[in-house]
Amino acid sequence: MQTPTGSVPDRPVPDRSPIPLGSRDAAPAIRAKALSKFYRNPWTLKVTRGLEDLSLELPRGEVMGYLGPNGAGKTTTLKLLTGLLKPTSGGAWLLGESIEHPSSRRRLGFLPEQPYFYDYLNGMEYLVMAGRLSGLQSHDAHRQAKLWLGRVGLGDRPALKLRKYSKGMLQRLGLAAALVHRPELLILDEPMSGLDPFGRRDVRDLILEQKHLGVTVLFSSHILPDVELLCDRVAIVLEGRLSRVATVAEIVHGASQRIEISCASDAALEIPPAWRRALYREERPQGALYVLEQDALLDEVLPWLASSGAQVRSVVPHRNSLETLLLAEAGGKSQVAPRDAIESEAPEQRRSA
Amino acid sequence: MSPLLIAQNTYREATRDRVMAGMVTAGIVLLVMTQIASPLALGEGTRLTVDLGLSGISMIGLLAVLLVGTSLVAKELERRTIYNLLSRPISRSAYLVGKWAGLTAALWTVAAALGLALWITLCLRGAGGHVLSIVEATYLAGLELSVITALAVLFSSLSTPVLSALYTLGIFVVGQWSYDLRELAAKFPAPLSAVMRMAADMAPNLPLFNMRSLASGGSPTTGLHLSLATGYALVYIACVLALATAAFESRDFK
Repeated sequence: MQTPTGSVPDRPVPDRSPIPLGSRDAAPAIRAKALSKFYRNPWTLKVTRGLEDLSLELPRGEVMGYLGPNGAGKTTTLKLLTGLLKPTSGGAWLLGESIEHPSSRRRLGFLPEQPYFYDYLNGMEYLVMAGRLSGLQSHDAHRQAKLWLGRVGLGDRPALKLRKYSKGMLQRLGLAAALVHRPELLILDEPMSGLDPFGRRDVRDLILEQKHLGVTVLFSSHILPDVELLCDRVAIVLEGRLSRVATVAEIVHGASQRIEISCASDAALEIPPAWRRALYREERPQGALYVLEQDALLDEVLPWLASSGAQVRSVVPHRNSLETLLLAEAGGKSQVAPRDAIESEAPEQRRSA
Repeated sequence: MSPLLIAQNTYREATRDRVMAGMVTAGIVLLVMTQIASPLALGEGTRLTVDLGLSGISMIGLLAVLLVGTSLVAKELERRTIYNLLSRPISRSAYLVGKWAGLTAALWTVAAALGLALWITLCLRGAGGHVLSIVEATYLAGLELSVITALAVLFSSLSTPVLSALYTLGIFVVGQWSYDLRELAAKFPAPLSAVMRMAADMAPNLPLFNMRSLASGGSPTTGLHLSLATGYALVYIACVLALATAAFESRDFK
């Protein structure tokens, strides 16, 4: 949007005034009801599950991370929502409109995984086309394209053909194309993939900015620290089924914390049998490190260490990362190693380290 | 609005493609060759120029359809550029119509450029009075290419570029000889004859778009012929694109 003096500001200012209040408030940004997708091989007639019975609601203004291992059904879900796949059964609604109607995508911005573009176009031409296809008038599309090209750091080379873009530049252009028409809902498939740390930070900032502007965001990512930072809630999908939906705080803080207790004395204390599954000792150059896997035992372990002459120097709680929890969740569904293997293996690995 | 935008982009893609520039160059080279060969035509140099010039428009157009048109949709699927389009508020029918319209516009541009080159050549030969028949013949060639492009879009939305090219070429051949095929069918036993007749009926009636023999004599065609050809082409294209949309509507883009 141009300033009163006609100069171009640093960043685009979203203008959502044309959207009637009634339609904005009435329905959730995304609603999926028993959404399923099965693929049938035409030769062998073998049926493969892409997604089964997904029921999910995403209220407006929320940022949701959509997590799961490769092949779990994340991209299938996103493609179903954006009309690239046809559901086998069930339905879904974007901002109150059924995904069966192309008009449901009018206020949607979508970034596919590893986006591909017309290499004979330049960045400016592509963004103008993207804006116009999403309903912007020619003048508005040109203005927004110029603004977003600058916003994603490509404004200094508007005439550069896309065939000369690097992977990171294409990813940023894809993000600009998803945002050029000021969508109310963003669906991003691996938006940080292929980006360097600076690019990742920029994308993170963009998502946060959209969140503050009230845009609803659903994105899949394998970069879990970013998910923890950006999301209000996460949904975990495993083997084509929704496994869990919870807030990041519920998942991360709800789990038991690991606590590391550093001691100056290297005297090998004998750990009481009742704690042997939860507490173990690691040798360190200047003393010993006791690792407590159940934070509830801390009130008992600390007095025991003090009374045993271990000379406690520090107590450091380590909260579980989303990654650990996702792996544990996936382990339970035999996506990777079984849950038991992960849990029993972790201390061993730490000891050997 | 969206079919127009898709068409605009497809036109831009086709005209920036070197294949199209190569096609126009090849057509002009063909015209130059006819001038070199015309002394051998025993006084029929103008007829030879018109005949080869108009044949060139059809053949070069067909080659462009086979090279560009048959991969029109398949290439978008392969390169996944289609994700960026169909995740926007665009229906699949609008997408296909846009793709067809864009390539058709590019082929009309090629046909017009070659028609103009032919007329200039005729003017240089002192036969500029053929202008009306050249314009009409070029128009009919454009209609023929529009029909073939619709078929290419249909096959491209269902199959690989190579198979699409084979199917399109096959239907072009059947369409060119549809009258002969019907006559030939009468000489075969019933089941085969029925299949041959059905193929001739379903393939486009391409001889309807051919007025080369008239144009080479400098004679224009009738308004009725032009109207019939236009109406037939529009109906045939609409049917083919409707079929393509029906097939494309349920397609998944994995």
